[in-house]
Amino acid sequence: MPTQQDSLDPTSLGSDLPELQRQLADAQRRLLLTLEAAGAAGAWRWDMGTQRLTADARFAVMTGQDPLELAEGVPTSRFFNGIHPGDVARVRIAVAGILAGAAVFSKDYRLLREDGGVRWIHADGGTILDDDDQPIEFIGTLVDVTDRKRTEDHLRIAQTAGQVGTFEHAAGYGTVSVSHQFCSLLGLHPTSALPVRTINLLVHPEDPQVIDRTAPAEARPGRNIEFRITRADTGEMRWLARRGEYVPDLEGRGFRYIGVIYDITESKRIEERLRLLNEALSESVRERTRERDQVWQNSRDLLTIIGANGLIRDLNPAWTSILGYKTSELVGRPFADLATDADRDAARMLASGEAGARRETIEFALPVADGSRRWFSWSATVDGDLTFAYGRDITAERQQAEILRETEDQLRQSQKMEAVGQLTGGIAHDFNNMLTGVIGSLDVMKRRIADRRYDDLGRFMDAAVTSAERAAALTHRLLAFSRRQSLDPKPTDVVQLIASMRDLLGRTLGEQITLETILTDHCWQAVTDANQLESAVLNLVINARDAMPDGGRLTISVANESLSNRSGGNDELTSGDYVVVSVADNGEGMPQEVIEKAFDPFFTTKPIGQGTGLGLSMIYGFARQSGGHVKLASVLGEGTSVSLYLPRNTDPERAAEPAPTVSTPRGRGESVLIVEDDAAVRLLVVAVLEELGYIAIEAPDGHHALPILQSGARVDLLISDVGLPGLNGRQLADMARLWRPELPVLFITGYAAMAATRADFLSPGMDMILKPFVVGDLASKIRTALGVTLE
Amino acid sequence: MNSGQITLDELERDALTELVNIGVSRAAVSLRKMVGKPVLLSVPAVDIVTQNAAAALIGQRESDDLVAIRQEFGGAFAGQALLIFPESNSVDLVLAILGNDVEAADVTSLRDEALAETGNVILNGCLSTIANLLRQSLQMSLPKVIYGDGNFIFDVGVERENSGLVLFLYIDFSVQDRDIRGYIAMIMDLPSLATLKHLLGDFIARVTADSNWTLAPH
Repeated sequence: MPTQQDSLDPTSLGSDLPELQRQLADAQRRLLLTLEAAGAAGAWRWDMGTQRLTADARFAVMTGQDPLELAEGVPTSRFFNGIHPGDVARVRIAVAGILAGAAVFSKDYRLLREDGGVRWIHADGGTILDDDDQPIEFIGTLVDVTDRKRTEDHLRIAQTAGQVGTFEHAAGYGTVSVSHQFCSLLGLHPTSALPVRTINLLVHPEDPQVIDRTAPAEARPGRNIEFRITRADTGEMRWLARRGEYVPDLEGRGFRYIGVIYDITESKRIEERLRLLNEALSESVRERTRERDQVWQNSRDLLTIIGANGLIRDLNPAWTSILGYKTSELVGRPFADLATDADRDAARMLASGEAGARRETIEFALPVADGSRRWFSWSATVDGDLTFAYGRDITAERQQAEILRETEDQLRQSQKMEAVGQLTGGIAHDFNNMLTGVIGSLDVMKRRIADRRYDDLGRFMDAAVTSAERAAALTHRLLAFSRRQSLDPKPTDVVQLIASMRDLLGRTLGEQITLETILTDHCWQAVTDANQLESAVLNLVINARDAMPDGGRLTISVANESLSNRSGGNDELTSGDYVVVSVADNGEGMPQEVIEKAFDPFFTTKPIGQGTGLGLSMIYGFARQSGGHVKLASVLGEGTSVSLYLPRNTDPERAAEPAPTVSTPRGRGESVLIVEDDAAVRLLVVAVLEELGYIAIEAPDGHHALPILQSGARVDLLISDVGLPGLNGRQLADMARLWRPELPVLFITGYAAMAATRADFLSPGMDMILKPFVVGDLASKIRTALGVTLE
Repeated sequence: MNSGQITLDELERDALTELVNIGVSRAAVSLRKMVGKPVLLSVPAVDIVTQNAAAALIGQRESDDLVAIRQEFGGAFAGQALLIFPESNSVDLVLAILGNDVEAADVTSLRDEALAETGNVILNGCLSTIANLLRQSLQMSLPKVIYGDGNFIFDVGVERENSGLVLFLYIDFSVQDRDIRGYIAMIMDLPSLATLKHLLGDFIARVTADSNWTLAPH
């Protein structure tokens, strides 16, 4: 030892010390840096028997103590040196546990650094037992886990923030290391290890399990799965997703699966809702499409889609079923080509969308494959470039309308025929009566002539002529009824007229009916058409007779009547003086409903063929046109009275002319051209003309008459039938007037229609005579016609 | 963690966990001596929950039927201690303790006895260690093996004078390369828990005052 002392030079020692201390500090710093770089563990040894702590340099540096001291041994309290104050108690408790017999020491805690910061260390230790199993030493190592802690913090925060649960499972093991977040995602009590079974049992049976019990042969990314779990705490169903990888087990046995789980319920729910919405949408689109397709497929209307160019884009099957077209052949053709030429414009208008824009309906037909035609009512709507046209089959409707129209025509025709039947029946009836008068009179005359009794012939001849004239008058009355032929009202002595009819009426009535006439002596004259009045009276008498099939009394009376406004009381009659002709019977009478209709045209209570139904209506028309009226009074079972009110003649100068003496005016050798295609009539007219002292020139038609008119031959009068072959009478007259402007013309016509248009038809110097006519009338007309020119 | 009126703070839970660890470490030593093989036991965490919560907790973890070894304890704090395994695991435990060469028929007949003995070693080691460390005395009844689900084991639905709380401890066994999981539960009433909390405070004060504090005879 002295030798050693001697060898030391205190002087040099003193001078070397600072240098040595500097070198020591350098070495310590180098060691620290090396330790920092190596991250190596520091070891300690706690001897319970001696209560001394020894530790290596790394432990010393980490805890900020002198390595030398620790290498030599220090009190065990130095174990707690450098520990963060917040962690000291925890560490002391753990150490106490070890000292008291706990087997394992495993703690993370903070150590204070020289620079004021902290380092996290992990202390891992255990006890060494003596033969009696009593702990004698507490040994272990410190590892700097600051970086790991930081990373773990990041991870923990990330996991917590992202609600990501982590787990680690080594293949073949029954338990899984889990994070607290993992547990809470499953609704499990937080823990660090869970049985595989516990975890997998929470998974929906149809879904993949969280923990695959089978491990792969090599490291690879694990399958990403999504699964439903039933939360252990609330029983709520949640969707979770799992991601992770298989990594080689650090302990070298197979693989570990390190993975995460996270909740995807919300996104699943949204996904599901989107899916449902989508499905609902698709379904509703499908449904709508199906519905429309149904309409398209099953419609009995023609449906078509037409492009802007007028070409058919599509047709529904109705085109085949109704028209027999193959739709495939029509697609691409112009729509308008389907229509017939007559309907092409309408079809074009429909196809162009014009009709649709105006919301018009167009009707036109399309030819059917079998050659027939069917009618359609077309409408169209326009959508963009497309025109959607709808054609409703109206063929049946049109056929029905046609049938209806035909039926109506037939009905009208049959109604007309019925009216004609009634009319002709009635006319025949009246005619028979009149013919009876003619034939009867002629018969009497014939027998008297045979007996050479000529004294009384004139009376029967008059009766025959009167009867025949009435027959002619009947046709005129029909005209008056149907054509409103103007009357020829003249002052008429009604009493005389009725008296003259008495014989005729008596014969008409027969023996079972007593005719009584009450004729006032001082009766006024009436202003009326005598012929019409006769006819009216005759009609009334016949009606009365028919109302008394078993006989009875018929009274004809003529009386004067003055109507004041007050006494009239009838708004249809103006006040004034009237001659009243009444025809009364004591026959069956009429019920009220018959009275109401009695004046209607064609109304008759008689069987068909026995009356025209025109009688009373004609009488009514005649009376009104005369300025008078008709009154009808009837009591069922007691009889009927019809009164004709005829206005009184107030003009004394226009006294009734006495019946003109028969003196037929004669000609003075005038030349008359007669154009008539009917040889019999022509013959008769020629005979009459010659008998009357005229020179007759004949022509059967206009063709033969024209040269005569063109020639210089004398023609004083043209008598022409109106209805001629070739030129008609009027045309002939017009041509004649070209050469002979002043030539009088007399038309003969059998056409009732001509009478109605008399005024329009005739020019000045023209007149007309209706067939049949009597010689006297013809003579008068000829004379008048010639006289006109003379004047 | 939630006990209603009584909670343990972090240090107290650390202390209790440490005490249980000491207890199971000693029990492991005893088991090692019994089976002649290394036995590792560790307790990672402690919770205080109600009996119902304990039943629900174990119910959600273990869907199988359970087997439990139950012992009553009395002293400064009193209650019931339970060592609980899934029933399917219990055979493994028995085999681990009895050895693989035991006949299957013997396993069945010896199972309850083996379980009761194992339970007794662990629970007794655990509880008496805790009592010692807290400087208290403790008496324990004979072990009893019961089968049933969590509700049955934790007496859920049974009327009690004092609604009990459960100190719920997870325990990992590793015996003969078999991983056996189990639970230790200590059912105590509120006064007992209050006492325990108080005693834990004393314990913490002592160990933090003296780094060389150790199990001192008293």
